[in-house]
Amino acid sequence: MMHIRILISIVALAAGIAAIPARAADAAAGAAKAKEICAACHGLDGNSANADYPRLAGQHRDYLAKALRDYKSGARKNPIMGGMTAALSKDDIDNVTAYYSGLPPVVTARY
Amino acid sequence: MNPKTLRTLVVIAASCAAAPIAALAQQAEPAGNPVEGARKVQMCQGCHGIPGWRTAFPEVYSVPKIAGQHAAYIEKALHEYKNGERSHPSMRAIAASLSDKDMANLAAYYAQSGLGATVQ
Repeated sequence: MMHIRILISIVALAAGIAAIPARAADAAAGAAKAKEICAACHGLDGNSANADYPRLAGQHRDYLAKALRDYKSGARKNPIMGGMTAALSKDDIDNVTAYYSGLPPVVTARY
Repeated sequence: MNPKTLRTLVVIAASCAAAPIAALAQQAEPAGNPVEGARKVQMCQGCHGIPGWRTAFPEVYSVPKIAGQHAAYIEKALHEYKNGERSHPSMRAIAASLSDKDMANLAAYYAQSGLGATVQ
């Protein structure tokens, strides 16, 4: 009986943790920021036309966020991205990554 | 207009017209061979081939999707891992074993592997 109570407590606790809402990212705000800062190179649709700039559309959001944080901190070095991320806040990163990760990738490479 | 001036103008006009075409050709030109790349891809698939796979160390985040990424970008990333400009431990170890040709081939393989994909 004791075991069942403990089990119920654990389940309830886990459910409670799961129910805590993650801070909602705002993809619409991300779109506005992307248009302002990212789109010139990566495209507003995240499918950059220039092969030097990676496609972002549909990429994992946490990977995009990690990349932006690393550029901002200097852990990942790139003169362009270092400059671009300097002005991004944590909310901006949440929002632009929510925006780009939610777009459909379009693949065009032919060999 | 004397012939010399005309010739100069023609040369300038031709250069202007040719420059963007040359740039375009350079961008579209595949450097690597995707068939050769497919022979080395086993070392990538363990992480990049499993949907939802996440890194383990030193920071946990999703392993990036690379199918359909620009070949030039993939190739550059591999070079940066090999020379230490990018620091992910697994990727540094993998890239250290790759030649320039391997990198170009793998980049070509992954650039075309998502061809036609429009799903997320």
